Amino acid sequence: MTFEIPFGPQHPALEEPINFMFEIEEERVVNVKPRLGYVHRGIEKIAENRNYQQLVYLSERICGICSFAHALCYSQVVEELLDLKIPERAKFIRTIVAEMERIQNHYLWLGLTAKEMGFETLFMYAWRDRETIIEMLDMISGKRVNYGMSTIGGVRRDIPEPMIKRMEESLNHLEARAEYYTKVCTKDPSILKRTVGIGILRPREARALCAVGPTARASGIPRDVRADEPYAAYGEIPFKVVTYRGCDVASRMYVRIDEIKESIKIIRYALKNMPEGPIRVKAPMRVPEGEAISRVEAPRGENLHFLKSNGTDKPERWKIRAPTLANLLSLCRMLMGVNLADIPVVIAGIDPCIACAERIALIDAKTKKLKVWEGKDLWRYANEWYRKRYGL
Amino acid sequence: MRRSEIRKQLRIRARNIIVQRDRRFFVNIEKKDLKRAIRRLMQMKNYTHLSTITALDVGSMIEVIYHVAFTDALVSVKVQTSKDEPIIPSIVDLIPGVALYEREIHDLFGVEFEGNPDLSPLLLPDGWPEGVYPLRKWWSVDRVLSKLGGKR
Amino acid sequence: MAMEDDMFRNLKEKPVTIQFPYEHVEPVEGVRAKVSWDIDKCIGCRLCVTICPGNAIQLVGRGRQAEIKYNVGRCILCGECVDVCPTKAIYATKEFEIVFNNRRGMITHFRRKKRKRTS
Repeated sequence: MTFEIPFGPQHPALEEPINFMFEIEEERVVNVKPRLGYVHRGIEKIAENRNYQQLVYLSERICGICSFAHALCYSQVVEELLDLKIPERAKFIRTIVAEMERIQNHYLWLGLTAKEMGFETLFMYAWRDRETIIEMLDMISGKRVNYGMSTIGGVRRDIPEPMIKRMEESLNHLEARAEYYTKVCTKDPSILKRTVGIGILRPREARALCAVGPTARASGIPRDVRADEPYAAYGEIPFKVVTYRGCDVASRMYVRIDEIKESIKIIRYALKNMPEGPIRVKAPMRVPEGEAISRVEAPRGENLHFLKSNGTDKPERWKIRAPTLANLLSLCRMLMGVNLADIPVVIAGIDPCIACAERIALIDAKTKKLKVWEGKDLWRYANEWYRKRYGL
Repeated sequence: MRRSEIRKQLRIRARNIIVQRDRRFFVNIEKKDLKRAIRRLMQMKNYTHLSTITALDVGSMIEVIYHVAFTDALVSVKVQTSKDEPIIPSIVDLIPGVALYEREIHDLFGVEFEGNPDLSPLLLPDGWPEGVYPLRKWWSVDRVLSKLGGKR
Repeated sequence: MAMEDDMFRNLKEKPVTIQFPYEHVEPVEGVRAKVSWDIDKCIGCRLCVTICPGNAIQLVGRGRQAEIKYNVGRCILCGECVDVCPTKAIYATKEFEIVFNNRRGMITHFRRKKRKRTS
């Protein structure tokens, strides 16, 4: 008997609600259809009526978690059109903030995935450690989210000497914690049962479906914009692209935890080798006619901004491609054949902005009887299922 | 990547390839050559993925740009189609990962992708009026709102 | 089970969360919060109005007689107006708990003092 299960679209707390229509056969997913657009805010249309300076802040509000990646990508694309050379120190500060944002995002992801697995202790601990990095960002930029650091022509705030000392202490703490989570995630049997071999995405499929970011890297594809097309100060900083070959949710977890450690190394190197000098150059309001493309590796994957200007102070067309859209088809592929109980973990695995399901309805395909499930019910069902089966 | 490599691979005139800067190439091609061009670019050795598809309103035409990513460059293939009959061959059979980008452009610009099996609405809500393509320049915010019967 | 060492250690510790209405965290140096005007310094140049991403600032009147209407509800606390002001008439405060009961309360009108004109 085939069931059709609409999944979503109300996921409060996390931006980008989405609706999945699952066809289920004996608890196995046989078909998935995504439906987007519940939070289509028309940013690309709004942009045609705003000036370039205002758009820095609009770009920051595309995503609440990877806000700096979008602002950086937008700033870079306007700088390219203006042919602006930004100061070296600004490039290093951009790199530092971008990496701090990556650490922040990956801790957030670790906590949310742990919560989807029903491992709430890890969720609380990961988020407590995330507070350390948020406090650092607060200290540098004056805000906990939507930092307002990147601007056209550089950055808005400097990182003075006393802050660097405090940052190093926090980085030591975070590195110790990342080591600890590696130990937990490779040893804990309940995490291994819920993640190893679940949500498989083969490298060939990842290539064909144009997966980006940690999702592609967990399938063994070394696809990273920081390495392929160095922007900001990445060209001067040695780092390695983390890849795992497991192709499952566990690999995605290890990729992210290793990226936290790699980001800490990048920040340490950047803080040590940061050149002195100005942090910002003045940018004119009007942008000459032209087209430019900028790519940035956001915590979730590749960001692409395309900008066409027409010589005025407002853009002609601004195209944004956020990483979740690129990974959505890969997610649908991963969901094929997984168990109903594994759906939350697999969806959380690509780090979408949609990790928590609020509402789920079960429709019996034969009788068309509607059973409505709250998101909590699915969560409870999933954990109950695993408890019965494996005694976790 | 160099201009000559792209020229040799695609077998097109050099003036159709614009080198914007290091790592950035824009290629102008005809609509009928699109599939062949994308297939040939995919055969090049540093090809990684197709980043996204951009559509933009350029007066009487709609321009569709395919951003093909390589490890050492980003090649943007430009195709134009008229607004009266916006039909472009779909490349979903070559790269399955573009399905959502084509659906997005179908929603917002009304471009038909010939050969894409599923062009149902992706972003716009159910019950969206037919023929309203919000990102075309003619559809200003006020026009869209008056069509939807809402107030600003 | 791989987290028991951390869990046992944390049993002895106090909760890390802060009981908000009773406890407060001091805002950091340079926190981005509400802005305020020193209206006598304002020359009515409109720079802050042009740069404001949320259209939170409104200018009433012209030139040196201009007064400012500032809507906190629309303000995104970016601080661009503080940076752009040529006469430093705008300054940042540390007031970050911005809650109102009605919409009118969000708008602050910075008025100039009535001055007698000397002939």
